[in-house]
Amino acid sequence: MPEIHIRIRNLIKRFGDVVAVDKVSLEIERGSFTTFLGPSGCGKTTTLRLLAGFYSADEGEIFFGDRCVNHVPSHKRNATMVFQDYALFPHMTIFENVSYGLKIMKLQTKEIEEKVEKTLKFLGLEGLRDRTPGMISGGQQQRAALARSLIMEPEVLLLDEPLSNLDAKLRVNIRAELRQIQKSLGITTVYVTHDQEEALAISDSIAVMNKGKVVQVGPPWEIYYRPKNTFVADFVGIANFIHGRVTEITSQDILVNIEDQLLTLMNHQYQASTGQRVVLNIRPETILMSKQLPESHSNVFSGKIRTHTFVGQFIRYWVTSGSREFIVDLHDPSSTGILDGDVYLQLPSPKLHLLPAEDWQ
Amino acid sequence: MPLDVSIILTNEESVFRGTFNLRNIKMTKVLKEPLLLITLLLIFLALGFFVLYPMASVLTYPGLHDFLSVPKNPRYLRAIYNTFIMVMLSTSSAIIVGFLFAYTFTRTNVPLKKMFRILSLLPLFSPPFMISFSYILMFGRNGLISYTLLGHRFDIIGWHGLWLSETIAFFPLAALIMEGVLQSIPPSLEYAGRNLGATGLKLFRTITLPLARPGVAGAALLVAIYVLADFGNPIMIAGSFTVLATEAWARVSGWGDVTGAAVLTSILLMPALLFFLFQRYWVGKRQYTTITGKVTLMDIPPTKGYVRWSLFIFCTIFSLLILCIFFGLIAGAFTKGWGFDYTPTLKHWQHVFSYSKPLTNSLYFALIAALVSSSFAMVSAYLVSRKTFIARRALDFAAILPAAIPGVFFGIGYSLSFNTPPLDLYGTSLIIIFSMIFWNIPIGYQTAYGGFQQIALSLGEAASNLGAGSLRIFWDIELPLLKSAYISAFIVSYIRAVTTLSVIIFLVTSTNIVATFQILNLVNDGFIGQGAALTTALLLLTFLILSCARLLFGRKIELFKI
Repeated sequence: MPEIHIRIRNLIKRFGDVVAVDKVSLEIERGSFTTFLGPSGCGKTTTLRLLAGFYSADEGEIFFGDRCVNHVPSHKRNATMVFQDYALFPHMTIFENVSYGLKIMKLQTKEIEEKVEKTLKFLGLEGLRDRTPGMISGGQQQRAALARSLIMEPEVLLLDEPLSNLDAKLRVNIRAELRQIQKSLGITTVYVTHDQEEALAISDSIAVMNKGKVVQVGPPWEIYYRPKNTFVADFVGIANFIHGRVTEITSQDILVNIEDQLLTLMNHQYQASTGQRVVLNIRPETILMSKQLPESHSNVFSGKIRTHTFVGQFIRYWVTSGSREFIVDLHDPSSTGILDGDVYLQLPSPKLHLLPAEDWQ
Repeated sequence: MPLDVSIILTNEESVFRGTFNLRNIKMTKVLKEPLLLITLLLIFLALGFFVLYPMASVLTYPGLHDFLSVPKNPRYLRAIYNTFIMVMLSTSSAIIVGFLFAYTFTRTNVPLKKMFRILSLLPLFSPPFMISFSYILMFGRNGLISYTLLGHRFDIIGWHGLWLSETIAFFPLAALIMEGVLQSIPPSLEYAGRNLGATGLKLFRTITLPLARPGVAGAALLVAIYVLADFGNPIMIAGSFTVLATEAWARVSGWGDVTGAAVLTSILLMPALLFFLFQRYWVGKRQYTTITGKVTLMDIPPTKGYVRWSLFIFCTIFSLLILCIFFGLIAGAFTKGWGFDYTPTLKHWQHVFSYSKPLTNSLYFALIAALVSSSFAMVSAYLVSRKTFIARRALDFAAILPAAIPGVFFGIGYSLSFNTPPLDLYGTSLIIIFSMIFWNIPIGYQTAYGGFQQIALSLGEAASNLGAGSLRIFWDIELPLLKSAYISAFIVSYIRAVTTLSVIIFLVTSTNIVATFQILNLVNDGFIGQGAALTTALLLLTFLILSCARLLFGRKIELFKI
């Protein structure tokens, strides 16, 4: 049983009349990489800043281990932060930046020297110790900021969208690097991002936030394929939604009446009841599309391609079927070419996911 | 000069943070840091005692009936009327000239425009009365140009001379502000206009001017405050055309009528305060400066020939008028008898050096005042921009308030408040120094406040995250980053202190005499050459400090930068 490292209980933070963090409760395992994911203003950064100790909570508690840190000042929490804009001190060299915290701790000069040397080397910044932040590239600045945090040997590492200022390719590389460093050091890490792809790629666990609340916590796979509600399904990845009403439930399947036909989906232990209004959700890349009518007639729609966009590794089609529109991604376009005209869509029953209709937005 | 620097944050969440973060640094934190609390109390006490108390002294010195009898006094009415006329005339002309200069700098390829820009900054560094003094030398009854060269007994003394002097004195300020305004208009907007078919005057009228309008309004209000408060120019050149500031001085120096002076300066304070509030809370709010550091520079399309040459001639005329000031002054300082005997001489300088007390006083007072003033302002700006406490807005207001107070009002306030116990500073250096310190607080405060706004909050947070306390953050992070802001604040405060006449005129005695007052006396008594020499010396002191700062700190210092 993994140990819980950070425990957040009923955390509330208000700014004037705005409730930025609204009764958030969350448990974070020691050594894990947890991401707060959500749209702008969802409270993810505020929650991170509450963990860092820049804000004080209006209600609720934060525990690091079994120590309540609510009234512990930022620098005594042993939780260092990497800022979105890096916040490297522009008037100091990389060495001075990285050693700043150690100097405040009044470490011996020799010890500081050794530690900085080691950290800079670890992050591939050896040659840059005497440069100022303005003289190094964005990726290097990012690593320098990380070095400044890591050198404090924190118990918890907090990262506030640290990759958002980098260009796309670098972002992917540093992302992998970051994950590797985190794993090798085993530091409990909390990461904030609004980029769902980044969150899926980097995390052990994702906490999806919306309007100050945590709406779902789970490993990336679960967040993507088994979203708990339509907000998560819609925010993470692209989702096709179909409204309907449950007509029959067996241990194997659930039948859902969507007015013009009955859809069958595999029963992944859903808590559904006959007659309940539901929303079915399916990812674009799991829909099968072909020019011929599929052999099995279940879950098949006939439609017409309205438009498409070529993205490289796949083609995205918008297919109109009656009053509905489906988004379908076909991978490896080189084998099919670009399709148009009338097509058949088949929704594989294990890939359909059932959501309660109450929270339809 | 009030300036509003705000940061446009691009990230939505940052805006959210930017708006609310100040509330989060709780009052309890301030209470936990006793040093902060003590500093805060001292600042409030100082501002209360040295800004608000003197103001209250002036306003309460006359009785209600003194104010009510103003309409019955024809001299008062004339001063009010003259002031009104002069504010309208000088503000309009300064704004027009300033705008055309700013437009030339930012939007055209007029030849020599860089030189015009430098020349246009010069009046900002000179004592206010210097312009009229020099114009009397050049264009007066015995003027070098008017009489000696053209043989004309033209008299510049009067409302027209004042109008010219104030236009020249204050258009540089207007040009500086509007240059900032014009630069902040993204060139892409004008390109879009051009792309849609608007050219020349049409583009100017439909795109550039409307976009610049809030900035122009702000500049006009500021210039109006300066014209209202101007004392040096009218006392030199206005002759019998009395304005409120000079009439107030006449009441005291001629009749010993302090009540009358208090009434007149109070009347002067009202519009100044009104303009100031209007500028700050209405116009100022609309101006944004991004600090991305990226100045989107696109090539300026060539200006049409006739526009280009008209602007060139226009700028040349005004630049010559500025050069005249310096020429007249320096020539005057080395000439035996201005107007009749142009033999070169050094005797005026002998006088300056043999009786150097006013000059050394000016130097010492201004240096001390600027040092204290900018330090005080720096700490106040730090507290207001980085801490949350009760009456934070009140401190902000008190620190910028002196910018709205005409110098003569401020001076009378000090003479009424600190010439009697509990704090009797009559005739001391301290009364002059204190008046210079607190009159200049807004300069340093606004510069520092702007500086703090530009330093990302996350820098302080990062330091605190690594273990730095309030004092340490201020010392390690904020202060080094504000060095250039601090130095510019120091220099501007110094220049204003060393060149002021209006503030000190009611405070000077034979023991604490300063150069500006001595110059006024010399000119009044007809010692033109000595006056010119002393003014030149004063000017040299100003440029000496400037060059020192340049040498020490390089080009990083941006003076009068809006």
